[in-house]
Amino acid sequence: MSSLRTCARAAIRIQKLTSVIYTGERGIKRWVAPTLRVINKRKAKLGPQPEPRRSNFLDWNYNAEIFAFNKRLSENFDVELLQQAFTHRSYVAQEEQKQREVGIENPELSIKDNTDLIVEGKCLTSEIVERYLRQALPRLPEEGILKLKDYLLSEEIVAKVSVQIGTKDIILSEDHPVRQETLVNTFFALVAALARSNDVVHTSFFVRDFLIATLSDKEILSIWTPSHPFQTLDAILNREKRGSADFRLTAQTGVNTILAAYQVAVYSDQQFLGIGTGETVQVAKNIAALDALQRMFGIADFSRPIPFNLTVDVSSQRTENLPLTKWCTENLKHTVGG
Amino acid sequence: MGNVSSKNFVPRSRKFVRRNQKSFFQHKHDRKYLTSIMSAVKRAQQWATFARTWHLFDATWQNPFDSAQVIIKHLMGLHKPIYHPMNDCGDHVVVMNSRDIALPGDEWRKRVYFHHTTYPGGASWTLAWELHNKNPTLVIKKAVYNGMDGNLQRRHTMQRLHVFPDDKIPEEILKNISNQIRYLRPVPTRLDHISPEEVENYPKIVDYPKQYILR
Amino acid sequence: MVFQSLTLFARSRGPDEFWRKRKIFKLAAHFVGRKRNCYSIAIRYVHRALRYATMSRKLKKADMLNLWNTRLTAACAEHDINLRTFKEALMRNNILIDRKTLVDLAIWEPRSFKSLTQLAIARGKQDGLNDVMYVKTPPGVITRGMLK
Repeated sequence: MSSLRTCARAAIRIQKLTSVIYTGERGIKRWVAPTLRVINKRKAKLGPQPEPRRSNFLDWNYNAEIFAFNKRLSENFDVELLQQAFTHRSYVAQEEQKQREVGIENPELSIKDNTDLIVEGKCLTSEIVERYLRQALPRLPEEGILKLKDYLLSEEIVAKVSVQIGTKDIILSEDHPVRQETLVNTFFALVAALARSNDVVHTSFFVRDFLIATLSDKEILSIWTPSHPFQTLDAILNREKRGSADFRLTAQTGVNTILAAYQVAVYSDQQFLGIGTGETVQVAKNIAALDALQRMFGIADFSRPIPFNLTVDVSSQRTENLPLTKWCTENLKHTVGG
Repeated sequence: MGNVSSKNFVPRSRKFVRRNQKSFFQHKHDRKYLTSIMSAVKRAQQWATFARTWHLFDATWQNPFDSAQVIIKHLMGLHKPIYHPMNDCGDHVVVMNSRDIALPGDEWRKRVYFHHTTYPGGASWTLAWELHNKNPTLVIKKAVYNGMDGNLQRRHTMQRLHVFPDDKIPEEILKNISNQIRYLRPVPTRLDHISPEEVENYPKIVDYPKQYILR
Repeated sequence: MVFQSLTLFARSRGPDEFWRKRKIFKLAAHFVGRKRNCYSIAIRYVHRALRYATMSRKLKKADMLNLWNTRLTAACAEHDINLRTFKEALMRNNILIDRKTLVDLAIWEPRSFKSLTQLAIARGKQDGLNDVMYVKTPPGVITRGMLK
């Protein structure tokens, strides 16, 4: 049978020579599966391999990547500054070491590293974030603003943002795979480079759109919670010259079970302030106080979401939000301006 | 097994646990901020949403089969917009006065409960009034049990039903209750519960003639 | 074996058995026992699973509709209106929201859902729908009759 098939195939080949019609192959060639099997076996034998560097691939074109980075973000980085922002000190040192190994006594490289950009960018980012948060959340106490800033500038968050705007493969650094710290530093360097290429206002848009916008789906109370809600609420009510907080049990069920639920609402001068539920009365009171505070600070679920279209003015005078110890509606009018 | 020296022998399970613990902590440490942490307020909201409410149902003069439908609704959580068959959101129902249920028509005499002991000749048929005399909670319990689909959840749902033959509900259960299910039909007043004076003075359409003998 | 032409006869070796079987094994990866490792058994169970999947695509829609109806009935009962009247009144108000969205509103935005039920009750009372005859007219709903 097989010899018959061979003959038939030969006959078709001869036909093919004469006709121009090309019939494509169907299916996967018979050699593919066994070859892949052998390759996989060899790979397994080698054990885990280091992650390949994208820049070591044949088709790598650094200049094209830099150009694309600029275009992808619709930014207007100065290309030299952009390259400098991606070049870390460790990379320059490594290059110099390479030259020394070759035998050059005093290697002179015309590559600039991003050490000063990092320092500059870190200050600038911190400034922009702080001012933006104050402007976007005018009712949030200063303690909350600082905690939110710490959260936004934490290594995990900035590193994640940095990876997501596509810095990972373009970074010129000794460490591979790139460490979180390097990713963070690169982001700061980029901010400084943008400030030098354009202006600070434009830079603040960059920080707003990529870093601050990560707050959009976050619950602010999970990042910052006032440490003593009872005392804080009482102090605020005292300052506002309202009656002290009055907690009332509004509902309870299954009190003799482990799934007991108590609902406590807090009032002041018969005005509703907040409501909370918990497995004990004490927990529920605590939550009610927290709820009252989050309603006052404008960070509750139903409050206006954080606006992400503001412009911050870094040159203007610094005005801090009210700290918790001074927070009250009257003082708020003076700072926010009515 | 005799060759295994006790010195080198480490129980497999303990090894396994230790390895798992290590990876768990590494994971927690690595992701400090990236895991979303629930705030206390959100946790409280969750607690409130899934709180189990305790309902009271007074079975006096109620049809147990109609009542069962309402009780089932509360036991399974069908009265909540968050209901889902896999979602454990059912409530507790305390039924009181199950001795005073009212079966429709001549159901007390005609309704038969079947039981089989699985031994040959082990079948038995009990009339509703007999069953009620033996245990005054069983008619309503069976009505609820048979009103639900037969699935693995049914027996667990039944655990949330507490039936009492009269109004003597234990104190610790009474404290849990926070809601009452409205009766399905108003409880009628019985003639022998009305005072004789009131009956005497009630306006009548006709007076019986003097000679008429009341039997 | 029947071949209609010489070309078809030559081609008849078919695709590589390995890839053909791999397709099936991939679908059987989550099965238990020999169903996942032995081809002749796996193919039978994969065919059955695919048949179930095909049927379930229709069943899922019915299941979801059932669930939405159950949930909506509960949500409407909380506001003293039944589902039929609610849907009818919404249609008459030209509020075209499907059941899925209504359920989402009932769970996540109970206040929005409540206002919808109030609108429905007001409309029902205005049009004389039986179910809402004895329900109080909710405050805050402005109808065309009021504007006259």
